[in-house]
Amino acid sequence: MNHITIPERREGPVDPMPKSPRPLEEGGGPRRPETESPEKDSLMKRMRKVDPKQAERYRQRTGE
Amino acid sequence: MLNRIFGLETEYGLLIHEDRPNHSPTWFAHKIRDHLFQVQRRGVLDLHHRGHDEPPGNGGFLTNAGRIYLDMGHLEYASPECHSLTDVVASDRAGDLLLQQTLEELGFSEQVSLIKNNIDHETDATFGSHENYLVSRRFPFSRRGLAPLVTFLVTRQIFTGSGRVGSAALQDAWIQTDRLLIPRSALGAHHVSEPPFQISQRADYIVNDFFEWVQHNRAIVNTRDEPLADPNQYRRIHLLLGDSNMTEYATALKLGTTGLVLQLIEEGHAPQDLEIDEPVEALQEISQDQERRWLIQLQSHKTMSAVDIQERFLDCAVQHCKGQDEETDWVLTQWASVLHDLRGDYQKLVGRVDWASKLWLLECFREAEHADWTDPMLKSLDLEYHNLNPSKGLYYGLLEEGRVPRVTTDFLIHLAMETAPKNTRAYGRSELVRHLLHERHASVADPSPTPDGLFPPYVINWSIFQVRGHAPFPMPDPFKTYLEDVRTHLDSVIV
Repeated sequence: MNHITIPERREGPVDPMPKSPRPLEEGGGPRRPETESPEKDSLMKRMRKVDPKQAERYRQRTGE
Repeated sequence: MLNRIFGLETEYGLLIHEDRPNHSPTWFAHKIRDHLFQVQRRGVLDLHHRGHDEPPGNGGFLTNAGRIYLDMGHLEYASPECHSLTDVVASDRAGDLLLQQTLEELGFSEQVSLIKNNIDHETDATFGSHENYLVSRRFPFSRRGLAPLVTFLVTRQIFTGSGRVGSAALQDAWIQTDRLLIPRSALGAHHVSEPPFQISQRADYIVNDFFEWVQHNRAIVNTRDEPLADPNQYRRIHLLLGDSNMTEYATALKLGTTGLVLQLIEEGHAPQDLEIDEPVEALQEISQDQERRWLIQLQSHKTMSAVDIQERFLDCAVQHCKGQDEETDWVLTQWASVLHDLRGDYQKLVGRVDWASKLWLLECFREAEHADWTDPMLKSLDLEYHNLNPSKGLYYGLLEEGRVPRVTTDFLIHLAMETAPKNTRAYGRSELVRHLLHERHASVADPSPTPDGLFPPYVINWSIFQVRGHAPFPMPDPFKTYLEDVRTHLDSVIV
């Protein structure tokens, strides 16, 4: 019978992990969002779009 | 990594965005599962009862050899067995993407969001992210042997925690003392005042150091003996105290450091003088320490910080494990880097450590909006950090801004959605699932029973499968792929 070939997982010889995190700005620390001009900052925009009541709506059952 | 098989099991929350929804989270979970198996044909649904709460059709194995199923109403994804951190991180993210893509394909993404977190702020419900590590049967699985692991696990939350706003109410718990089970309250446990923010989601729900249950009396080390492999050779260390991580970096570091500490214990090199006086209390006190000094009382009456304790484990791992393989060296380098940065401003850890990323976002919001910690918006932002919708989730906002280092690639994640790691038992199982899909025996609606009707067309479990009532095919060694044997077996049983 014909076997279905599973594609290769790795992209050739893959470096399994980076040697270190990609250098971040400002000496490895985060760049602070422009809170004084939040309309220009995508993170503040994302946060302002969040429904303030969504935590109340998030009714989950206990799992494991 | 050397001599290690890793696996992750993740339970997802479903957030419905309507005031008066027509459907429950469980209804959406069923729709997502059914679409994934019956329309996308990502895998084969179970045709047999796996347990009292897992009837036929409740879930199934995927072509990547992992599983998707419903557990206590939650969608849950279990990764395939992975022999490297690269594979387990990619496989974990593959589960996120499989579910998110299905949600979008169903047109539900405006109605409902998949939330990869572990708590419900309102009801105190919790659901897990369970870690699995294969160890030798010779692993010293006793209170004494596990003592270094407990110390490590209690303190690793300083870089593995996902953070949360507030805390859970005091959990009911029963403590095992000698042969007696007594209520925890009898030991004088008390609840500290509500913290505005804590670094771990699960710490409040861990009420024992050792116990075998997973839904109540959750313990730092789960003692259920279920190796899902040859019980004469292997034991599975099953941990349920960890948080679901959004950053790939934290996922890799959590599994990598824990794997190395298990190796230190197996080889007798773990530090033995760091036993914590009250591990469960310490777990919660570290999580809730607003000054982030993370001081712990040891049984030796010494007081040490969690960072110092972690550095002791790191020193041992450097001494005994350095150079054994590339991933080990990556873990050792990054472990040292994170511990160094934890001594300074937490903002240096944004993008690598989830609690730090979340806290930074919340502090930015509080500053901009002049919000205090009692503002209910903060709990909603807390949830949004874990939203798997890349156009909404706050973690994905950080990623989009280039503030999150990656440890895998989108290409590898997409590959892991379809295919299994090629160096573990998962590879053989993946071959089986593909054949069953190809032979059109995959649907519950078309079960094609054997002529005598006694056997389902297939029964698949982690360490064994059976096709059409033929002899069961055991796969007791997770380090073997069984690929050729599976093919030969299928040739003999599938017409």
